[in-house]
Amino acid sequence: MRPFTYTGTTNRNEALKAFTTTSHYLSGGTNLVDLMKEHVEQPDQLIHVKNLQYNGISKNKDGSYTIGAMRSNADTANHKDIRLYYPLLSMAMLSAATAQIRNMATNGGNLLQRTRCPYFFETSMPCNKREPESGCGALNGVNDQHAIFGYSDNCIATHPSDMCVALAAIGATVEVQKVDGGSRKIDLEDFHRLPGDKPEKDSNLEPGELITHIHLAKPELSNHYAYVKIRERSSYAFALVSVAAGFQIEDEKISKIGLAMGGVAHKPWKLIEAEEFLLGKKPIESNFGKAAELAMKDAKPFEGNRYKVPMGKNAIVRALMQANNIGE
Amino acid sequence: MKTKNATGIGNAIDRVEGHLKVTGEATYASEFKVENKAYGQGINSTIAKGEIIGIDTSEAEKLKGVLKIITYKNAEKLKTFDKERPVLATDSIAPVLQSNKVHYYGEYVGFVVAETFEQAQYAASLVKLKYKEDATARFILGQNKDKAYNPSEESDYERGNLKKGFSEADAIIEQTYNTPIEHQHPMELHATIASWNNGKVLVYASQQIVEDAVISISGTFQIPKKDVRVVAKYVGGGFGSKLNVERHLIMAVMASKMVGRPVQATVTRSQMFTNTGLRQSNIQVVKLGAKKTGELTGLLHETLAYTSTTQEFQEPCGSMSKMMYNVANAAVSERLVPLNLQQPFSMRAPGEATGSFALECAMDELAWKLKMDPVQFRIKNDTQEDLSQEKPFSSRLLIECLTIGADEFGWNKRQQKPRANKKGNWLIGYGVSAAARAAPFNETHAKVLLDLTNDTVTATLQMDATDIGTGSYTILAQTLSECLNVPLEQVVVELGDSDYPITPGSGGSWGAASYCNGAKSACDYAIAALKKNRNVPNDEDVSIAELLKMNQITSYESQSLAKPDSEFKKHSIFSFGANFTEVWVDKDTGIYKIKRMVNVGSAGKILNPKTAYGQVIGGLTMGAGMVIAEQTKVEPNFGNFITRSFADYHVPVNLDMANVDVIFLPEEDKIVNQMGIKGIGELGITSVAASIANAIFNATGKRMRDLPITPEKLLMAEVEDGVTV
Repeated sequence: MRPFTYTGTTNRNEALKAFTTTSHYLSGGTNLVDLMKEHVEQPDQLIHVKNLQYNGISKNKDGSYTIGAMRSNADTANHKDIRLYYPLLSMAMLSAATAQIRNMATNGGNLLQRTRCPYFFETSMPCNKREPESGCGALNGVNDQHAIFGYSDNCIATHPSDMCVALAAIGATVEVQKVDGGSRKIDLEDFHRLPGDKPEKDSNLEPGELITHIHLAKPELSNHYAYVKIRERSSYAFALVSVAAGFQIEDEKISKIGLAMGGVAHKPWKLIEAEEFLLGKKPIESNFGKAAELAMKDAKPFEGNRYKVPMGKNAIVRALMQANNIGE
Repeated sequence: MKTKNATGIGNAIDRVEGHLKVTGEATYASEFKVENKAYGQGINSTIAKGEIIGIDTSEAEKLKGVLKIITYKNAEKLKTFDKERPVLATDSIAPVLQSNKVHYYGEYVGFVVAETFEQAQYAASLVKLKYKEDATARFILGQNKDKAYNPSEESDYERGNLKKGFSEADAIIEQTYNTPIEHQHPMELHATIASWNNGKVLVYASQQIVEDAVISISGTFQIPKKDVRVVAKYVGGGFGSKLNVERHLIMAVMASKMVGRPVQATVTRSQMFTNTGLRQSNIQVVKLGAKKTGELTGLLHETLAYTSTTQEFQEPCGSMSKMMYNVANAAVSERLVPLNLQQPFSMRAPGEATGSFALECAMDELAWKLKMDPVQFRIKNDTQEDLSQEKPFSSRLLIECLTIGADEFGWNKRQQKPRANKKGNWLIGYGVSAAARAAPFNETHAKVLLDLTNDTVTATLQMDATDIGTGSYTILAQTLSECLNVPLEQVVVELGDSDYPITPGSGGSWGAASYCNGAKSACDYAIAALKKNRNVPNDEDVSIAELLKMNQITSYESQSLAKPDSEFKKHSIFSFGANFTEVWVDKDTGIYKIKRMVNVGSAGKILNPKTAYGQVIGGLTMGAGMVIAEQTKVEPNFGNFITRSFADYHVPVNLDMANVDVIFLPEEDKIVNQMGIKGIGELGITSVAASIANAIFNATGKRMRDLPITPEKLLMAEVEDGVTV
């Protein structure tokens, strides 16, 4: 690992002031430290922000909740209000990584975790995300875990988070602190980027901006929900394909719905057409099947990941069926 | 053999070394306190084939703490291979940094020595190498079948008349089974501390076979064996990867000489993928023919595997096919393709683990074709004679393993038709497989020191045997307790030092049988000698304390050896087993759960049921790992392994593992060795993969012939012809 300096602080302004272009904020470190060991990330300075006071879970006037960026994934997922009002989020978060990693990892860090594309991790391989203009090794290499939506010739990597898939289904806003002291809010849908011609940028955060809170949308999808994660072993594996589904039923029809997929794109993939199709429809398997067809119709798989299309369809139907049958 | 006391053999006592291990007091290779130690870090090549044409160490040399950077330019001259692609053995030389040639991605091209581990690691990343790449590198076995060669005369085996055998068959199946590259990955990283003193070198190392490490080091450096001492007190798992000396050890020995200080080298987990051995990929073809009534008439098992371009290793995938069934006409062959990948070597039941997957899946396929119960099909083809060696088995309880296992498992509830047992989204399947693993017993020396103080005898055993996590300390303490009839508290076991008598080490399932018989022989020798001195009849029961007193001595040293006798050589010696598995497969997602397993083994005397269960459960887990997800993926354009950490090389997690029942059949085998011990180390893993794959067929009607069976493969696979969906 390349030597670096460490700045620990409990003061937000000190953290912002310490930031330089070769610095990195360190929170749980479950991803960043690995990348530093592999020489993928080589910051001059780590600014430890985990002890800043952004670790609350609080209820807002409209019934929605705000979760602190420095709160651990484990604490968030197991919080009684999150379990009660955002069970989909809790379920997705608990399907991620291992108990040990969830204890360390934070909500802000989870939003910023980087792709597990093997070409990104190995510094002797080409990777436009790690080293712009070096090429994409996965395009004509091993691409079984890669994107089927929204990729570019520059990058076909996927976003690895489970939490973000649930957030995309539920709806959320990310609040960040700017270096100049002000703050701004970014809709979750606009937070992560598609690779385009700048795959080195995972998100729309500006340098030095610090995530402080995640504001969750009002808890309207807590009656019917499911997170289906298909992976190569029962724990500690990234999703081949995952689906977060939540809906409300009124008069035997779907009145509100949130649907998103993981493991298929450079960002959590909202299934907007499928959502629109299902609104006002009966929650029955034939409708779920049609929604799944709609959701996957524009998929463009590679040689190695063709399986993601049928697997994705089946996972969507399964998640919706499981959500519908909840409590039965 | 009857157990004399509560701590003798056969008792499920707690491990004598358990407390040391769980409290961190057991010293593994990198944990010995050595003064003035420096740290070394290997540099790995980033091309797969070519030459180094430039080395820039300037930036690394400027770093604080850097003591030496060794490359082929300044490395000590070592013994190198005197022929092209010699056969790799456990005592082979291990030359490194001897030329500018690169043979595979990740090969060591340099070694940095620094004051601290961190400095060495960082400096290693700053050494800049320029390469001239050779574009003729080859990485993928299936794409290079035309480069296959026949490694030796023994690679072809045939009995009877295969053509005739198949012509007599009413049903024939012929299928190809693929297994990927896998890695051993013991918990303890390979590590060593080497220090020179007056022309002699002391090496703390993580090795399975101490004596072979001594031979390898002395051969590589061309120094006398007596100037090399290897100490391996505790080894945190080996699984074959620590059978031979790996290059980090050689580089540490070399570096220690060059910097005049002890040097420690611990490989990283990612170097455990590139520099400490692996199981190569195999393509196996099995053809089986049988009569309507179930008798096998022909068996063909052909294996294509890769070896490296520098050394040769052949995993004997056909070994079980040669001896398992009563089939008069059989042929087994093995071919190798040299590839620009790391040198393969033994891993977790080399030959049987992979070979049994092909053979036992093929048996299931043929049973299905014959519409025969697969348990009955195997029983029908049982043999008490090893047809390949033309010798009787010393003992073989395979039929008992199968029938008792079937009872315990509830096999009679199995539906013969696939997809007939459903529950919600789940398809439920039952699978069976049979297993055999050679139970070797090798010449073993041991020393026993008896000390009489205040009427109490303390017995100390010394041998260069290793404990690779299996509990050698415990079973040897039990052996002494048994043979000398003293309580466990009066026994001291000292292992893992080349200053002690020579044993075959741990590996190949020969450890327990060899070690315990060696120790017994030293005990028996002591008792016999002490009795003889005082004219005590051999069959008279006198305590060891009394014997020492009668001899008017307070200490006695006995050294002896145990080795196979003529009866052993007249027989074929194997342990046998049967695996039963229930899987639940999700009909839409390809996810499956191994719900339960029953494993029945017949493996002679079980020395300690606790440690034995542990070993078999470990084997079953590794077998499950072969099926669930274990695979090292090769990048097809660059030749590197893209699975390079435990995050992407998937071993089973607790949730993946089934409810496991392990049953050992009582088996008294007087032929194998005096104590009746057969190996169990590798029996556990053998055939597990087939039992799971066969259960998946029974559940889904899909034949999964490529390991691992991942959800994506299972989802995309077609249901076999003739299965109703």
